[in-house]
Order: sequence, then structure tokens, then C-alpha cells
Amino acid sequence: MTLPAILATVIFFGSLIIIFSEKLHRSITAIAGGALMVIVGRVLHFYSEEAALDAIDFNTLGLLLGMMMLVAMLEPTGFFQYLAVLAARASRGKPVRLFVLLGIITTILSMFLDNVTTVVIIAPVTLLICEIIGISALPFLMSEALLSNTGGVATLIGDPPNVLIGSAAGFSFTDFLIHSLPIVLLSWVGALFLLLHLFKKELSKRPRSVKAVMRLNPAETLNEPLVARRILIVLAGAILFFFVHHALHVSPSLVALSAAAVALVWVRPNLDELFKRIEWSVLIFFASLFVMVGGLESAGVLESVVGLLERASSVPPLVFGVGLIWIVAALSAVVDNVPITIALIPVIRGLGASGMEVDPLWWALAFGAGFGGSGTIIGATANIIVVTLSERTRHPITSKLWNKRGLPVMLATCSIASILYAILYSTF
Amino acid sequence: MTVSSCMKKHVVSIPVTATIRDAAAVIVNKHIGLLPVVEKNGKPVGVIGIRDLLTLELPDFVSLVADVDFVHDFGAVETTRPSARTLDKSVKSLMKPPIAVEEDCGLLRAYALMLQHNLHDMLVVSKDGKLIGVASRVDIGVAVLSSWEKT
Repeated sequence: MTLPAILATVIFFGSLIIIFSEKLHRSITAIAGGALMVIVGRVLHFYSEEAALDAIDFNTLGLLLGMMMLVAMLEPTGFFQYLAVLAARASRGKPVRLFVLLGIITTILSMFLDNVTTVVIIAPVTLLICEIIGISALPFLMSEALLSNTGGVATLIGDPPNVLIGSAAGFSFTDFLIHSLPIVLLSWVGALFLLLHLFKKELSKRPRSVKAVMRLNPAETLNEPLVARRILIVLAGAILFFFVHHALHVSPSLVALSAAAVALVWVRPNLDELFKRIEWSVLIFFASLFVMVGGLESAGVLESVVGLLERASSVPPLVFGVGLIWIVAALSAVVDNVPITIALIPVIRGLGASGMEVDPLWWALAFGAGFGGSGTIIGATANIIVVTLSERTRHPITSKLWNKRGLPVMLATCSIASILYAILYSTF
Repeated sequence: MTVSSCMKKHVVSIPVTATIRDAAAVIVNKHIGLLPVVEKNGKPVGVIGIRDLLTLELPDFVSLVADVDFVHDFGAVETTRPSARTLDKSVKSLMKPPIAVEEDCGLLRAYALMLQHNLHDMLVVSKDGKLIGVASRVDIGVAVLSSWEKT
């Protein structure tokens, strides 16, 4: 290994360890790591500012920013609360029915919107509904995070790793619906039944006050119905364009940013307030990781990894793919799945350049990164959100509880996905 | 004028060894909103307010959902009571640090401190730190406004 390769590896893995330890905010770590990578690259002549800029995937950032702006405009309208209250009324206070309905709503929303925002907004209303009915909110909060993690894997825009993979592999919105949705759907159903079994005791408790939930009026939760309607129309238009973006030779980021532009002109929100709700730190985190991985690539580290993996080419491709699902899932359970995905993209690309059939590997990466996050409290941002929220209540979600209820969901979804992946391998 | 001129000199307090249940009983019997917690030597070590006690019963969603206007019926929450285990905990687990002024403190300074710390009642201590009175916003406000009659 050359000196640039050693230093680039130390910077990247050092940053991953700091991110894992949570001693420093992940975006600060990534900015510092990215800057260090460029400085070391300049000194040792393996990386430059221009190469760092080229390494940033602006298609991913544009798609994320566009969708973030749409969600930030929809959030204050009360639309999410409206849906949760509708679900509560439809359940007539029956815990199992409420559990399934809230799970479905959270999943569908997180298939099209940022699932962190979805969970952030749905979780407090879930707590409200559970408290007035008189049942424990823990099963509901945990399942919302777990089911939204699972469901988000189904679409191009449902999960950040999918945005990255779609952009790198050139997969369209429809490709995800054809290859990912069926596997995710069955894995999701498996996860739901498993959760219903794991929380059987809590969900079998009789609610103390069903009447209160029937007195909730969904219409009263909508603060700005007109604005909500306008944004939903724009969002529906964007989803229609996502279906045909490949045929029109238009990037998903252009669709998302155009939709955000139309919504901005139509709704004319307070920009200062809107920009406060955009997760800039996430965008900076992504950009910095791209810069770091660009450094790894320029230093020849990823080439060496590709070389090592090529030597393993005697392994049957199907076993290679299933192995990738589990390795990525295990890594995603303990480290953020975004850096894992960004680091593996050039590796898979390299394997493709060496003649390996890589389309199945892209899907393996998506399933592993998406389902792996359910395994631990820190595996996915949605998990951290519900755990943090529960810590502000009388019944916090502990790591022990997550290991008992979340880890089985990760194992089940990865197992179902692996079996279906093997069956459908030839179609990828 | 100083705060000692308008404070209530008869102060109801509880010892630091009391439980939350004891504090609630005193607040109910004396119909008061704030209860100083004192050491054996009479020095205040904390305060426990009616709001602190009610927080034990308030549902979690109240602090997490921005707007609860649409919830017309709090349902099961209305009949929820803190557990016996919670009520038997020491007042130390719920009390807040005491904010007090000395007896010669000016009225406006005392009032400003109450505004700053969002207090309805201010503890008044002697030079050696012993609790000697409690002055409410009304006590201080009335004392200040009464001086306007002379101008």
C-alpha cells in the first residue's frame, strides 16, 4: 500500500470511528475529514480541490434538497397530524388496528418523503393518541421507526442510500418499483407480523377510553388546508414525473427542485422559517463524505479493494450478492448507512468496470443499507428520533428493549429479502 | 422601601426529609402555590411548587405536541394518578433550587428577579440565610404602586 493510500484510509476510517463514537457531530467530523483529505491530497499530490468538487454527486444533493423543501412547506400545515388523527378514528381505539393503520401511514409517507421528518411529526401525535386511549405508546413509536426504515427502501426517493444508489447506478424511479418494491412489500408484511407478535402483550391490553379518540376532529388539526392542498398537488405532479424521468432523460434532482420551485411560487412561504426546517447539516454531511470518498478513490484505495474482491470472483455471484446484503446490513446497524453506501459505490462501479455483472450488487447494497439500520438504536436516524422523544416521556425506549424488538425485525427483513433476492436474482 | 416591609412573615415550609406526598398534603391544606423546603437550621434548600406537583400527572404529549386545542377530551389521562412509588419519593427529587433575596433588598430589584426567573413568590432570607418570609408578585406590586399616591 502506498503512503497516500494509507493516509486516505486512516482519514476515512478515523472519521467513521468518530462518527460511530458520537463524540463529535457527524457533520463536523465529515467536514473536518473532507478538509483533511484535500489538504493531505494536495501535499502528496493525489487529490485536488477540483477533484474534490467533481467527487460531489450534485444529483443526490439536489434531489434531497428539493424533497426537503417540499416537506418543510407541508410540515406546518398540520397534514401529518391530520392523517394520524384519521387513523386513530378509523381504528375506533382498537390497539391492533391503530398499530397497523399508523404503521401503514408512516410507511407510505416515508416512501415518498424524508422518513426522519415523517417520524418527527407522527411520533408526538402517536403519543397523544395512545395517552388519551390509555395504552402504552412504546410499541407504536418503535414500529413507526422500524416500518418506515423498511418501507423507505421501496422507492428511489424513500431512503438516502437509495438516492445515492439510484444516482450512481442510473436506476430510475420505475426500476425501484419493479425490483425493490415487491421485495420490500413482503419484507414489510413480515416485519409487521413479527412486530404484532413481539408486542402481543402490550397490544392485547384493553384501552381505557375509546370515547376520547372519537372526539378528535381531524379537520381541526389542519392549520392551513389551502397550502396543504397546493403542496400535495405539486407533490403528486412530482411523483408522476418521477415515473417518467428516465424516458424524458431528466434527472430526479431536476424533478424535485422544479417541484420545490413551483410550490415556492404557488405558496410563497416565509423563506427564513422554511430554511430553518431544511436539514442543511445532512446535505453538508453528504457533500463532505463524497469529498472523503473521492480522496480514497484518488489515492488508489478503492482500486485495491476492487482488486481484492475480484480475487473472490470464484464465489458464485448469487452468494456474493446475498453476502453483500448481510455485510452491509451489519455495518449499517452500527454505523450510519450513508457513509457505507458512499464508500461502496465506487467499489461496485470498479467491479463493473472489470467486467462483473453489478446490477444485482446495487440492489443488494440497497437492501442491506436500508434494512440494516433497524438493528440498533443508532442504526437509523428515525430510530434515534423515537428514542430521543421517548426519553422525554415516563417510558423511555432502552437499548435492551430495542435489541429485543428491533434486532429481530432487522434479521427478519434481511432474511426475507435474501430469500427473495435469490429467487428473483435472474431478473436483476 | 425594602422587601421585608411587604412580605408575609408567617411562612409554611416542609423539612428536607419530607416526601412528595407530604408536600402535596401541605399545599392542599394551606391552599398555597409554593412550598419552601428547609434544613433543620431554617435555611432554605429548595422550593416545590404546585406546578411541579401537577407535572407528575400531566400527560407526556402536552410538552411534545405544539397545539393541543384539537384534543377535546383527554380521556384516560384525566383519571391517571401518579403511582404510590412516585408519591413516596423524597421532595429532593422534585424540588428546584431556591431563589431568595435578603430582607433589605429593594422592591424593584426583587420584582425584576421574579420576572427574570418567572416566579410568583420570592423567598426572603435574613442576613444569616434563614427563611424569614415570602413575598408574592401582588405583595411587591401593591407596595410599589402605593407609593404612586404620594407623587
